[in-house]
Amino acid sequence: MRLLAVTVSLGAALLVTMTAPSYAAGGDAIFKKSCASCHYTDGPAKEKTIADQLAKKGPELFYAGSKFQKDWLTAWLQAPKPIRPMKYNSLTDKNAGDHPKMSAGDAAAVSEFLMGLTSKEVKAGVIKAGSNVQGKNIFAKKMPCSGCHEYSDKGAVRGGKSGPSLVGASKRLNPDWIYAYMANIKAFKPVRDMPDFGSVLNPKDLENVAAYVASFE
Amino acid sequence: MSRFVIVAATVFGLVMGAAGSAQAADTKEIFDFYCAQCHGTAGDGKGVNVTKDFATDPRNFTNKEDMAKRTDEDIKTVIRDGGPAISKSPLMPPWGATLSAADVDGLLAYIRKLAK
Repeated sequence: MRLLAVTVSLGAALLVTMTAPSYAAGGDAIFKKSCASCHYTDGPAKEKTIADQLAKKGPELFYAGSKFQKDWLTAWLQAPKPIRPMKYNSLTDKNAGDHPKMSAGDAAAVSEFLMGLTSKEVKAGVIKAGSNVQGKNIFAKKMPCSGCHEYSDKGAVRGGKSGPSLVGASKRLNPDWIYAYMANIKAFKPVRDMPDFGSVLNPKDLENVAAYVASFE
Repeated sequence: MSRFVIVAATVFGLVMGAAGSAQAADTKEIFDFYCAQCHGTAGDGKGVNVTKDFATDPRNFTNKEDMAKRTDEDIKTVIRDGGPAISKSPLMPPWGATLSAADVDGLLAYIRKLAK
């Protein structure tokens, strides 16, 4: 009986070890202590109603590893600058730029943890960042992303303010995530104030826009 | 009998009134979440996205004369399929894959009430 209990315990311990995501020790603990009151990391998306979305204090991060570039994330956690012109979930209050800062060590550990949170919706190697006429035409005219998102036009920041800024997207975002987010937005964010462009643009158009946005300085 | 009728009518009125406000609250929540970013929470076309770079003036729903030129079908079509569906700006995106038919009907009624 005792042998059975030991065997079961050892088996369970082995299973936990084998299935635990690979991130630096401590990154998840630091996240739980410092970040989890505003961001959740256990997907899939939880929001079902507008009230659910409005109750969130910050963006969901259960697909952070597919969305962000690691070097950018590690640097941003140490010196966070506003990504959204407006406070999260607000159309009236500006982003106060008061996201907490982390030490270099904590930022590296949390970044390692977050980069392990990937989404199977994001296929790697589909989008190659690059400016292109078709993507630019959709972004600025046909389905103007610029109405809600800021971008840099020869150094001048233009565009709308309700969505996250796309200035510097080439360093912040994974091009494949940009495509996947537009193509199947409901899998990432079921309740959001961005239209479902996957239902109105064909895959080639979405690829062109994603490549264009992914080239933004 | 008459007392019963009064009580029944009062209860019915309260229930309907409550249901009516719940519906209005839901539609206001939908309007504020999806539409106000460009049309403004007051519906006057002065949303946070309307900067000098915004290539058109979002519809001012409080302008009675202007709104009288739009049919109910135009408004529902533009919400579902976007501006180009009625030869207007693509800055009005299509919400048909996001909003239900009931949501669109609710928004139409809400927008109509904003016209002064």
